[in-house]
Amino acid sequence: MNARHQGTRPEHLVEGSRQELAFQVHEPDAAALERPVLLLHGFASSSRLNWSDAGWLSALADAGRRVVTVDLPGHGSSPAPDELDEYSPSRIRAELLQLLADVGVRPYRAEDPASGVDLIGYSLGARLAWEFGGAQPQLVHRMVLGGPASHDPLADFDLAAAQQFLADGTPIADRSTQELLRMAQLVPGNNMFALMSMVQAIKAEPFTPTEAVPKMPLLLVAGEQDELASTMPELARLSGRADVVWIPGRTHADVVTSRAFKKAAIAFLAS
Amino acid sequence: MSETTIAAPGRTGADPEPAAPRQLSMQQALNLALADILATDPAAVVLGEDVGTLGGVFRVTDGLQGRFGAARVFDTPLAESGILGMSVGLAMAGFHPLPEVQFDGFAYPAVNQIVCQIGRMNYRSRGTLPMPITLRVPSFGGIRAPEHHGESLEALFAHVPGLKVVSPSTPEEAYHLLRYAAARPDPVIFMEPKSRYWQKGEVSTGRRGADGDLGSRVARPGKHVTLIAWGAMVARCLQVAELAAEDGIEVEVLDLRWLKPLDAEGLAASVRRTRRAVVVHEAPLTSGLGAEVAALVTERCFDTLRAPVERVTGFDVPYPSGDLEDEYIPNIDRILFGIQRVLEYRRG
Amino acid sequence: MAELSFPLPDLGEGLIEATVLEWLVEPGEQVERNQPLVEVETTKSAVELPSPQAGKVLRTYGVPGAKVSVGEPLIVFEVADDAAGIVGTVPRDEAPKRRVRLTAVPDED
Repeated sequence: MNARHQGTRPEHLVEGSRQELAFQVHEPDAAALERPVLLLHGFASSSRLNWSDAGWLSALADAGRRVVTVDLPGHGSSPAPDELDEYSPSRIRAELLQLLADVGVRPYRAEDPASGVDLIGYSLGARLAWEFGGAQPQLVHRMVLGGPASHDPLADFDLAAAQQFLADGTPIADRSTQELLRMAQLVPGNNMFALMSMVQAIKAEPFTPTEAVPKMPLLLVAGEQDELASTMPELARLSGRADVVWIPGRTHADVVTSRAFKKAAIAFLAS
Repeated sequence: MSETTIAAPGRTGADPEPAAPRQLSMQQALNLALADILATDPAAVVLGEDVGTLGGVFRVTDGLQGRFGAARVFDTPLAESGILGMSVGLAMAGFHPLPEVQFDGFAYPAVNQIVCQIGRMNYRSRGTLPMPITLRVPSFGGIRAPEHHGESLEALFAHVPGLKVVSPSTPEEAYHLLRYAAARPDPVIFMEPKSRYWQKGEVSTGRRGADGDLGSRVARPGKHVTLIAWGAMVARCLQVAELAAEDGIEVEVLDLRWLKPLDAEGLAASVRRTRRAVVVHEAPLTSGLGAEVAALVTERCFDTLRAPVERVTGFDVPYPSGDLEDEYIPNIDRILFGIQRVLEYRRG
Repeated sequence: MAELSFPLPDLGEGLIEATVLEWLVEPGEQVERNQPLVEVETTKSAVELPSPQAGKVLRTYGVPGAKVSVGEPLIVFEVADDAAGIVGTVPRDEAPKRRVRLTAVPDED
């Protein structure tokens, strides 16, 4: 095969339109023996901010893990389509399933350490992971959910107020909406139209963790000062197979770089 | 209309008392020279990529910002055209800029500023806007670096009217030539042989005067053949001279130092003694400075020459990656072959 | 031995300072190039800064919670006097080797 063509992405249709999410496969220095790890970033973030800049890629590479990163629609290098459907969590999960097939993930078998996939999701990525693991138990070996909540904070997002603010600067009354929008605006290059579309799509499909409870072992991690993850114990209770780690002193924004978080996640996935 | 002028201070500082000669590496000697220039010339400013807080990728500007402040030693954006463009403006405002281009291969983006502004401003302004700029360029190869980090630009700049070009070969030469260059009213391209940065040698401080700083320098006397070199090739030619002596051949090594203007008299004087000349440089052969040297020697010593001037140079290819560098840079055997050819040559 | 100081790098997008979250190395420790040094948080995000240099850590600046401005010292390494620059290697000092021998040819006069 001509080496030039090895990077060509396979063309697939997902729910009738082309799968176009930007993804990258990061190989460790020595050939990975274990199943790949799929990383799912949070709202208004990207694979680069959430995983690369925060040191996860190098930590996982040092642990010898093969890693797949993917940018959610309207985030990072992924396209920002106009259609609202493209942002819905169910559509994103379908894309993720196709992506894992494309990168060669095979169904999990207990006797084969290379089979299946591990997931690490942060914030919105943790919600997507919960649902994905619940729906695809045949693929997922273990999952680490960072800064998770039993209730998606984006579902309470005051979209009308946010759009008003973006249009003419009218102050937003709701503190959580205000804070989410502030974080979204801090990242240069963030496409505000796409982010608002995603919020709208999430409001149409709010998170109901009881709908599909993942059966595999989980590690739940959040900063002690993470207000958005205050309902994490509820997820642990639902799972019944979850280890819970609280990182002292950290918030929803800064727990992502925590060495303790990375160490706990890597050790948990290796066991 | 209000007019804003930037006033550069006059040249008032007194030179520090010369210290006893000491052992310094070339990077330390250059660092000391820059410190002495900044201390004695209030109009001098050092600018470039990473020259300030980092102290230079080769430590040449180490500690200067701490000692002289960020107004006189400052970091610039990663834009060579900007570094040299800013130097033109500073020079017009009365400053004496000492810009650094971090590596030879990154001087190309600034060629417009160097050739069309720095080289010509004095001429264009009928002498009212001299360009007292000393552009330091870590130059030549020998450190196993990637592309853009091993090039020899002397022929390019020597060809430009209005520029002077100089390259030191030892820590002592580095200190004194940099101080001399910085005190000139004309722009000087100062090519630092980066493979020699770590070599130590005795350095005397203070000033040695134009007699010591101008022209070429006989680095080793000999009577059978003159090896002509500059920068890092001087040290290699001295090694060759040592080996040639084992075979009974006395090689004179002429360190050209100034590549523009070339020391025609010094060249002629040496070759009249030895009657044979081999010029050695890292740059590619074609239209290299060796061609100019060969022409000068031939014009002035045609009757005494026993053989055509031999050139031992790099090849007419882009500077290779680090692993191939030893195949590219003239090595001892290639220089010895060059000597053998001029020794063997017979007319007719 | 020489000291080599690195400032807090420009974290891009007009950010002028960062808050130290946690140091991952300590004075006296030998670190590799690209080894994670410190976690810092900006108004934008939290990042892990890799080491620009291999060497022994002499000093670090900023306890957890402290703000450091871009360009201010962050870490100081101890490096050998003859340490290479950031690009390339230090040429080795080797005895000259030769294969070519010169044969002296007597002059005609």
